[in-house]
Amino acid sequence: MAERMIATRTYVIVCIVLIVLTVLTVGVSFLPLVGIWHTVIGLLIAACKGSLVLLFFMHVIHSPRLTWIVIGVTSFWVVILFVLTLNDYLSRGMIPFTPGH
Amino acid sequence: MSLDQSILTADERAELELTALASHPLEEQYANLEQQHETAVLGMWVFLATEVLFFGVLFLGLAAYHIKYPEAFEAGSQKLNWVIGGINTVVLLVSSLTMVLAVHFARLGENRRTCWCLALTAALGCVFLCLKGLEYYLDYRENLIPGWRFDDSEWVQEGLHADQVPHVKLFLLFYWIMTGLHGLHVTIGIGVVVWILVLAAKGRFTPTRYTAVDVTALYWHFVDLVWIVLLPMLYLQGTHTL
Repeated sequence: MAERMIATRTYVIVCIVLIVLTVLTVGVSFLPLVGIWHTVIGLLIAACKGSLVLLFFMHVIHSPRLTWIVIGVTSFWVVILFVLTLNDYLSRGMIPFTPGH
Repeated sequence: MSLDQSILTADERAELELTALASHPLEEQYANLEQQHETAVLGMWVFLATEVLFFGVLFLGLAAYHIKYPEAFEAGSQKLNWVIGGINTVVLLVSSLTMVLAVHFARLGENRRTCWCLALTAALGCVFLCLKGLEYYLDYRENLIPGWRFDDSEWVQEGLHADQVPHVKLFLLFYWIMTGLHGLHVTIGIGVVVWILVLAAKGRFTPTRYTAVDVTALYWHFVDLVWIVLLPMLYLQGTHTL
């Protein structure tokens, strides 16, 4: 098959980086951050880890364009799901209740 | 693709190829084996897209209520066992490495190594479930199961207002449902990996026919991906103390 191979060494290095990022994300939870920063940093590190798994372990880096389209479309639907729903939840109460309208 | 690293002789490989062709012939709607392989892989990606939306709504619910009740959700998060959660993350990451190596060796036709990597993957999946079971038991001991073992007064003593205790229960429900569904996915994954291992041991896979290994690996990595997001969202909210 025409697919390009990734060296075993690369897989091992990716796995080590993923473990280091896991230690980092647990470490950050002990820093005295305020507000939503724990969530933001935790999700940023998770996004880095997820990208590594997708690109190397799931071979997206060498996948046909059709696979990229499926991932793009999935991301688009997830964005719709989150943005439209949170748009409702977060904006409730912003407009004062006016009886009769 | 170079097969120089293969440990099989040309005769052995030809024999394996015949075995594989006898058990999985090229379906008539495909032009060649490569197209058949890519179609199966695309099918798995589309299935994973539905899985993303399945877990997506749970993450959305968790996020929406976290934004609404940040104090209660952070208090709940700090009671969860981040040590077992963290160790389980590493277990799943290493199992993803062994899974991708199984695909790698299947492509090279190194069947023995493929079998070993698949066995290791299934074993690490079992380690994950055992640690998860231990964690659930500790949660039971610490009264973290709303509706069964939960004590409102403990949370009031921690400094939460009595009105906030139901929100802690809500967080814990998200925890139980999300880790439970993830655990179900790991269990199904272990079953499929063992099935693929049996097929590999029978010599069903060759460098041109390893689709089942590849597709199973995609599912396994997806389960790993879900856990990567679950770790910060459930276990690591708010400032932890040792």
